[in-house]
Amino acid sequence: MPLVIKDEYPEKLFRDDGKRLDGREKDELRPIKMEVGVLPNADGSAYLEWGNNKIYAAVYGPREVHPHHLSKPDRGILRVFYRMATFSVFERKRPAPGRREKEISMIISDCLKPVLFLELYPGTAFEIYINVLDADGGTRCACTTVAALALADAGIPMRSLVTAVAVGKIDGELVTDLSGIEDKAGEADLPCAITWFNEELSLLQFDGNTNLEEFSKSLSLAKDAMHKIYEIQLDALKKKYIEIQEEFNGGEKN
Amino acid sequence: MMNIKRVISTIEKNYILSNLKKDQRLDGRDLWQQREWSVKSNVIASAEGSAEVSLGKTQVITGVKYDVGTPFPDLPNEGVCTFMAELLPLASPLFERGPPNEQSIELARVVDRGIRHADCVQTKKLCIKEKKAVYIIFVDIYVINYSGNLIDAGGISSLTALISSKIPEGKWENDEVVWTGKYLTGDTLVNELPIVFTYGKIDDIIFFDPSLPEELVLDGRISISVTEDKITSIQKSGVATFSIEEVEMLGKKSMDFGKKLRKDLNLWQYKL
Repeated sequence: MPLVIKDEYPEKLFRDDGKRLDGREKDELRPIKMEVGVLPNADGSAYLEWGNNKIYAAVYGPREVHPHHLSKPDRGILRVFYRMATFSVFERKRPAPGRREKEISMIISDCLKPVLFLELYPGTAFEIYINVLDADGGTRCACTTVAALALADAGIPMRSLVTAVAVGKIDGELVTDLSGIEDKAGEADLPCAITWFNEELSLLQFDGNTNLEEFSKSLSLAKDAMHKIYEIQLDALKKKYIEIQEEFNGGEKN
Repeated sequence: MMNIKRVISTIEKNYILSNLKKDQRLDGRDLWQQREWSVKSNVIASAEGSAEVSLGKTQVITGVKYDVGTPFPDLPNEGVCTFMAELLPLASPLFERGPPNEQSIELARVVDRGIRHADCVQTKKLCIKEKKAVYIIFVDIYVINYSGNLIDAGGISSLTALISSKIPEGKWENDEVVWTGKYLTGDTLVNELPIVFTYGKIDDIIFFDPSLPEELVLDGRISISVTEDKITSIQKSGVATFSIEEVEMLGKKSMDFGKKLRKDLNLWQYKL
């Protein structure tokens, strides 16, 4: 039986004044808020609000590998568990992890591995648990961004941070940071992530259709957006230490 | 950072116990004091109702979703309300991935029973058409940080999420459900407010609202759900045994705590 309200998309994704449905310009990001050290039990953690997306990430490790046969004698392993809450989407999601969640977990894990020095931690595991509590498009990019932040908060040596964003095509126009509706009703979606130590792409997927010219234009849109998100990531990391510094000003507690 | 151990030493257990005997607890509370509550509603835009609740450092987020389905044959004019709890591995190194384990099922069941037997969720009002279509309400509890006593936190967050929910109202027309354009809100869905209180027992000492170290060493637990004038559900778990006098005393205490907490939290303020 269908739900009382049906999930329908608007025909036009631009308003009459040329702005997007949520009032953004074509290259404008949704409001982003990040915080680190939010979960006291984890070795490192971060919380992200990206538009309506609300995501927690926690890092545990390096620690023993369970089940043991997964451990590698010459390097550590990185395991990522991307999960969505049952109430994070329009129609209740089944609680057990589905194929989509497993694939995204793998994509994020592969994306983050290049920045870690896993060869320094043989026989151990780093585990990243990412829980999407509220979803509104672009969760795989948001999760990659927040997972990198949680790794940094855990004090794990990294070559650099990782930043991700999705660009796409809606009503024939290229736009940055697709929202949930734009993602479902739009024509193309290109999530990508950058590892800043070599400024190369570490996550890249594409669904839709585009010509080469549009494709390279989307990538340059993505890079501009990722620079902005990177600044927010750095600020979130610094903020924790600025707070500690303020609390213990010159060795004396204020 | 990681300050939770899987095993708490005998020394630590004895230390907790000797403090309890002096009416003291590691976090400075007395035996019958609960940690601070913080309640926020409407935190998840995709959910029909939601709440973020912390009890001390324990933090849970609960969301309400709905579905339309056929009623149970023996209750043709009643909707269904189900509870699920997930102990996210990010909340504690003690939690493991995988299908629901005993602990998460107990959490969901105790919260469920406290609410089910209290005339709380108005299942008769969740019927769209007898024998054909009723609402199925899902209350899903996610533990974000584990610092002891998930049951009390889960109970308050479920109630708040239900009270703050807004479910599209459907009517039966031409053999299908159509939307009336209106919403069912907390005052239609919820009547009584049952509140659950959990007590721990070590040796012969009983205390209110176990914190994490206390929860790891306690012999047993008892959770009592109360409405304004009735006890609606009790769950004893662990190996400790409780005397009849103790249970009576805890029942009475729960009533008193219930009156106070109901006033302090004033959950009806979260109705939309």
